[in-house]
Amino acid sequence: MKFNSWYISSFLISFIVLIPIITVFFSFFESTSNYYEILKNTFLIEYIFNSSILLVSVLFITFILGTGAAYLVSFYEFPGSNFFKWALILSFAVPPYIYAYSLTAFFENYGTAFTILKTLFGDANYNKSIPKFDGMFGAILSISFSLYAYVYILARASFLYQPQNLIDLGKNLGFSKFRSLYKIILPAARPAIVAGLSLVAMETLAEFGAVDFFSINTLTTGIYNSWIYFDDLAFANRISFFLLLFIFSMFILENLSRRKAKYHFNTREGFKQKEKIKLFGGNSFLAFIFCSFLLFISFLFPLSQMFYWTIKFPENLFDLDVITLFLNTLYLVALSSLVLIIFSLISNYGNRVSSNRSLNILSTLSISGYAIPGVILAIAFITFIAWFDNNIIKTLGFDSIKKIFIGSVLGLVLVYFVRFYSLAFNGIKSGYEKINISVDESAYLLGYSKKKTFMNIHIPFLRNSLLFIIILISLEIIRELPITLILRPFNFETFATTAYISASEDLLEAAAVPSLFLILIASFFIMITSKYVLRETHE
Amino acid sequence: MKKISILTLIASLFLSTLAVANEVNVFNARHYKADGELYSKFTNMTGIKVNLINGKSGALEKRIIEEGADASADLYITADAGRCGAMDAKGHLQGGLTSDAIKAAVPKSFRTSKWVGIAKRARIIYYSPERVTGAELSGMTYEGLADPKWKGRLVIRKSSNIYNKSLVASLIENNGKKATAEWAKGVVANMARDSKGNDRAQIMAVAAGEADIAVANTYYLALMLSGKKGAEQQEAAKKVKAFFPNQNDRGTHMNVSCAALVKGAPNKANAVKLVEFLLTPQSQEHFTNNTFEFPMIDGVSPSPLVVNNLGLDFKQDMKTKLASYGKNQAAALETMTAAGWK
Repeated sequence: MKFNSWYISSFLISFIVLIPIITVFFSFFESTSNYYEILKNTFLIEYIFNSSILLVSVLFITFILGTGAAYLVSFYEFPGSNFFKWALILSFAVPPYIYAYSLTAFFENYGTAFTILKTLFGDANYNKSIPKFDGMFGAILSISFSLYAYVYILARASFLYQPQNLIDLGKNLGFSKFRSLYKIILPAARPAIVAGLSLVAMETLAEFGAVDFFSINTLTTGIYNSWIYFDDLAFANRISFFLLLFIFSMFILENLSRRKAKYHFNTREGFKQKEKIKLFGGNSFLAFIFCSFLLFISFLFPLSQMFYWTIKFPENLFDLDVITLFLNTLYLVALSSLVLIIFSLISNYGNRVSSNRSLNILSTLSISGYAIPGVILAIAFITFIAWFDNNIIKTLGFDSIKKIFIGSVLGLVLVYFVRFYSLAFNGIKSGYEKINISVDESAYLLGYSKKKTFMNIHIPFLRNSLLFIIILISLEIIRELPITLILRPFNFETFATTAYISASEDLLEAAAVPSLFLILIASFFIMITSKYVLRETHE
Repeated sequence: MKKISILTLIASLFLSTLAVANEVNVFNARHYKADGELYSKFTNMTGIKVNLINGKSGALEKRIIEEGADASADLYITADAGRCGAMDAKGHLQGGLTSDAIKAAVPKSFRTSKWVGIAKRARIIYYSPERVTGAELSGMTYEGLADPKWKGRLVIRKSSNIYNKSLVASLIENNGKKATAEWAKGVVANMARDSKGNDRAQIMAVAAGEADIAVANTYYLALMLSGKKGAEQQEAAKKVKAFFPNQNDRGTHMNVSCAALVKGAPNKANAVKLVEFLLTPQSQEHFTNNTFEFPMIDGVSPSPLVVNNLGLDFKQDMKTKLASYGKNQAAALETMTAAGWK
């Protein structure tokens, strides 16, 4: 039976995810206005230039920081190395836009740095000697320090599985530590590092909050502006073409390196627990300094800036309805994780039992939602619903469905679904790949139905990956900004939207309280992950 | 499991359609805490619930446009007249803000039947009294910002900023596009640094000695002087003085926060009531004391911080129609970009 209900439901899910993505492209072929005819080429070159600079710099910094830290904590023992192993992931809790607020708050004229200098050394004009981290430089730093954890986590996981004999090989050849790293360890971990970097690349290209805060015109903000403010769909289309070019090259790069991953790592038998090298003296101190510095810059610095402001302007704390914001955030997180998990389970299972080629292609396409910037996805969703309502629902004589989808939790969860479906789908897929198909066959032989196999065998097997995915999705949704901002219902705020709104009116101090709560909640999720999940899957 | 998901869907449907009859829906691109307090007062007085969505003007406008005849928004409130004008030009507003109360409160050049100014702000020049002499400033105009005597001494934010677009749009309206293009080149040549940061950052650059003059809106200095930004910025603000340009001709460039009546508004009558409420002396005082804007109506005085430090009696540009800000917006950006204004 080829077209069973599993097949149909997983087909439908993939299709729903694809709708807004298709809308993005089709809406750009509509008739269009002609603002700024003369300047378009100037603008386009600026967008491409800025996006490229941002991308290359962020990739470079995250590569150095992420692999550097992962290498140190995976191969060496130094004071605090066990602590840094998980603490360095905490930078994930600080979204780039909050990092941007902190940078500005600290280094601006008469900012926190000025206050510190004044308190220490007395009155003087220190402003000119305080470096300014704003504009493009500020955006690069904000994104890099927030995202290097992607590279760090994946590189570390890969280092952990590197067979001891590979490292012994380096020793036997008389390689120095640096030569071993350069010639053996890095090439062997390359697929994982590239996978991390490609995640960083997608997030960087899609980044809206920090880039908007520093008013850098990138391809993403360019699409937003020409679509929203100038109704110039043709130009938006031209910009998206370049954005997609960037994204597809990342996709291809990542896939290529994944393919390589297979023949690098097919010998699990050779795995034995590595002995860490104990560092002494200067080296040990340097390793400690590097990791402490990284933890301080990426996590403690923004955390303390937000904390300082909360204390300095306590009235903002009392103005904020923290409990409602917390419940709203939690509500979105719970609902979206539930929906995402349920549907990606169904879809994965459908793929497994029907192993249909067209379905496989469809589900591969449907995970591309992660590559489309949230701000563009949200607008596409509104455009699609409006089109569908005007052309189909009304023609059939039904009442308008716009209010059901636009400005409702339902609509919000739907678009989160499209955006984060790949996280859930791929996460479960990799969990499924560990369950041999023969397990299913044995179950059928024992007289289990498909449903029973799914409920009683697959789910328990997948429990750990499910928990990990839920936490990943939760982190993403807690930090998510543009989709929530555009699609949320009346009187519905989260920590992220409250922070953004205060910041957009130049009330950075007021943005500190929601930012602080956001960081704390996200840190809590990260600590759970590293305590219960990462330990079991990676070690 | 399917049951659960269906239930959650139904639950969320409920949330969005659960309508309270006596309400007004506001799409709000003006995010001052003080506004929220005003809306609560309105609810207490009239029993009409104010539903808010805060967001960026562009995304809110897109939502209004796509919702079309099935609008959920009654009022669109934003901090620039150019945006209200643009929504009107696209045909997404309706007439109705024509009650006697509104007409009596708001001068003609600050309203149409579809949108009304609710608070004013001026875009002015800030200077360092230590480094800029009275003679240099005497008779200063926006046009004068291009004068070579300011070379390397001026800071102003980016060309993409809406306040700059509206200012340059008004210059195009008054002086023509060609003259404004020349002017923009002069301004760029005078900049002490590439444009960056918000209005407050420009004022602080003057305080910190990075530049001698800055262009920024009126309420920022008052905000810094109020101490709401901390003691350091309060000190910094005292190192800077305000100057109102173009006093000998058309007056200082004015902009408004505007409230626009959305086409298809489900609670039109309540929307009009809210606008009338925002124009009462009580609400206007609330604006002036919290956001440090200028009042829209006569008989209310600006915040003492604004009066004492910026001066009260200045000539406002009442001649240039605010509608021209929206009309000339594209030309303004083009002019600035062509001059190399970042």
